[in-house]
Amino acid sequence: MTSREALAVAVIALPALAMMLLLLAPTGSVPRLARLAAVPTAVLALALTVLALRAPGQPVVGEWLVVDVAGALLVGVIGIVGLASVLVSPAYLDTGTDSLVSRQRRQRTYYASLYGFWAILLAVPLVGNLGAAWLLVEATTAASALLVGFSGHARALEAGWKYLVLTSLGLGVALLGIVMLAAGVPSGGLGGLSWHALSTYSGGSETALVAYLLLLAGLAAKIGWAPVHNWLPDAHSEAPPPVSALLSAALLPTVLLVAWRSQHALAPVVGEQTTRTVLIVFGLTSLGVAVPFLWRSLPWKRLLAYSSLEHIGVIALGIGFGTPLALAGVAIHIAAHAVAKALGFYAATPLLSHDPRAGEHAVTGIGRTQPALGATMGISLAALSGLPPSPLFVSEVLIVTGGFQAGHPWAASATALLLALGFLGLAHALIDTTAGDSPPRGRGAVAGLRGVTALTCVSVVLLLGLAAAAVALPGSDLADALVRGLS
Amino acid sequence: MSGAIIWTLVALGLAVLVVRRRSLAVALVTAQALVLVGLALDEAESSGDVLAAGALAVRAVVLAGLFLLLVSRTRSVRPVRARVAPLARAGIAVAFALALTWLVPAIGLASREAERGVLALIAFGIATAALRRATLFQIIGIVLVENALALAALQLPGGAAVAIELGVALDLMLVAVVAVVFYERIFAEFGTADSAALRALRD
Repeated sequence: MTSREALAVAVIALPALAMMLLLLAPTGSVPRLARLAAVPTAVLALALTVLALRAPGQPVVGEWLVVDVAGALLVGVIGIVGLASVLVSPAYLDTGTDSLVSRQRRQRTYYASLYGFWAILLAVPLVGNLGAAWLLVEATTAASALLVGFSGHARALEAGWKYLVLTSLGLGVALLGIVMLAAGVPSGGLGGLSWHALSTYSGGSETALVAYLLLLAGLAAKIGWAPVHNWLPDAHSEAPPPVSALLSAALLPTVLLVAWRSQHALAPVVGEQTTRTVLIVFGLTSLGVAVPFLWRSLPWKRLLAYSSLEHIGVIALGIGFGTPLALAGVAIHIAAHAVAKALGFYAATPLLSHDPRAGEHAVTGIGRTQPALGATMGISLAALSGLPPSPLFVSEVLIVTGGFQAGHPWAASATALLLALGFLGLAHALIDTTAGDSPPRGRGAVAGLRGVTALTCVSVVLLLGLAAAAVALPGSDLADALVRGLS
Repeated sequence: MSGAIIWTLVALGLAVLVVRRRSLAVALVTAQALVLVGLALDEAESSGDVLAAGALAVRAVVLAGLFLLLVSRTRSVRPVRARVAPLARAGIAVAFALALTWLVPAIGLASREAERGVLALIAFGIATAALRRATLFQIIGIVLVENALALAALQLPGGAAVAIELGVALDLMLVAVVAVVFYERIFAEFGTADSAALRALRD
C-alpha cells in the first residue's frame, strides 16, 4: 500500500471512527470530542490533497480506491468546509433547543450525523467503483436528510421530506443506469464497475447512451441540476447553517465528480461529444433557471441556494466544454465557490440572531446595524457574484473562453450572458443587504459573530490565494492531469 | 426464471398503487420482496449469493415491521384520499410502464421478460410516489423501485457483487429509518399524513 493509499483510507476512517465515539461518549463530552476530532480529520484530508497535487501525473488507480487531482481537490475542499462547519456548530446549537430528537440526545444526534455525513462525503471522491460510489451517494441522503430537518420545525420537516423522497427516487433511476452498464461490462456484475472497466462496455452504444442518460438524470436529482432541483432551495434554506454549507460547498460538487468520472469513462463508448453535450444542457438549464431568482428579493439562505444552482450549472458547463482551460476554471470554481458559499451560510447564524425575520424575508442594511456581519455577507456575495478580484471571476472567464475554444460558441455566449445577468442580480442584492435601508434591530449580543468574523479573515486570504492560483493554473501539469482524469 | 414469477411481482407492484389501505400496501410490497428472496435463494450458486438473499430478507422484514409500527402509531380519523382515482392511477402507471419499455433498449438482463418486469416496477414505484398523497406511500414507492432494481441485479449475467447488494439493502434501511422519523414528526406537527400539507416552501 502506497502512502497516498494509506492516507486515503485514514481520511475516511478517522471521521467514521469519530462518529462511533460520538455515539458512545458521555453526553457532556460530545461537543469537545467533535471539535477535537475535526482538526486531525481536516489535516489528513489536506495532507492527501497536497500529496496528490504534487504528483499530478501519477494517479493511484485501483479497483476500489482512486486518488487523482480532481478527487484530491474535492477531498481538500470537504476537509476544510467540514472543519469549519464543526467549529461553527456550537453557535448554532446554542441558539435554540428544538430538534427532531429529545433535548438530551440533541447534540449527540447532530454531531454523529454531521460526522457520518462528513465521512461519507470524504469517501466519494476516493472510491474507484461506480457501484460503490452510488452506495456512498445514497448513504449521504440518510445522514444529511436527518440534518436538514434537524430543527424539527414545520418548514424544515417539509424540506427534509422533499429532499429524502426526490433524491432517493432520482438515485433509483441512476441505479437502473448502473445495472444496464453492469450487464455490458466484460468483467461482469455490479462489482466489476471500476472506472476503468466502464470504458470496456460492450453492450452497444445505443444502450450505453440510454444508461448514461439514466445515470446522469438520476445523479442530477442529487446534484441539484435543473429541472430536477426542486429540493435544493428548500433544503439549503431550512437546514442548520453549518449543514447548508456542507450541502452546497461539498455535497453538490462531490456528486458532480461521480457524473464527471462517468462521463470520462463512458466517452469512448457513447461518444465524446454526446457525453459532453448532456452536461452542457444540464449546465445551461441550471443557469437559466437560477438567474431570474437572483434578481428577486429572497431570504438570505434562499438567495445563496439559488446561487448554488447557478454555480453548479457553471461547473457542469466547464466539464462539458472539457478543454484544459475550462477544466482549470472548473477546479478553481469548485474551491472558490466552496469558500465563499460556506462563509455566506455561516453568516446565517449571527444574522438570524441579529434579525430573526431574516429566515423568511430578504434582509437590508445589515452593514448599518452590524458592520462586522455586513462585511462578512458582503465579501461572500461579492465573491459569489464574480466581482473582481474574486477567483470566481477568473474561473468564469476561463470556462467561457474554454467554451469558445471547444467549438461551442452559442453555449459559451449564452453562458456569458447569463453570468452577466446573474452578476447584476447579486450585485443588487449585495448593495441592498449591506448598505440598504435598515429597519430597527435589537442591539443585543449576536450569537457566533466572533467565530464568523475570524472565518471571514481566513476566507479572504483563501480567496485571494485562489485568484492568484487561477492565473497560474492554465497550462500547468495540474490542468493537464484534470484533462486526463484517471487515465 | 419463469415469466409467471416476474408477472406476479409486477401484479403485486400494480396492486400497491391502487389499494387504499396503507397496511395492505405494506403487506403487498413485503410479499414482493419475499418473492425476490425466494428467487435469490433458488438461483444461489455460492455462499455469497445466500448471504445477499439473507440481506434482502432482513431488509424486507425490517421495513415491514417499521412501516406497520408507523401505521399503528399514526392512525388518522379520516384516511388521506388520493388526488387520482384507483383506476386512473393504474391507467397512468401502465401507460408510463409501456412508454419506458418502448423507450429503453435491451438492458442486457437474462431475458427480455425480466427487463420488461423491471421497467414496469420502476414505473409503478415512481407513479406511486407521484400520485399518492399519503406520505407513507411515497416511501413505499421508493421501496418498489428498489425491489425492481433487486430483480434486475438477480438477472444480471455476472450477478451482483455481494458487497454491493448488502450495501443497497443497508442504504435502503437507513433511508427508511430516517423516513419513519420524519413521518412521525410530520404527523405530529401537521396532524395529518397528507403530503398536500407540505406546501409552505415556494418561491
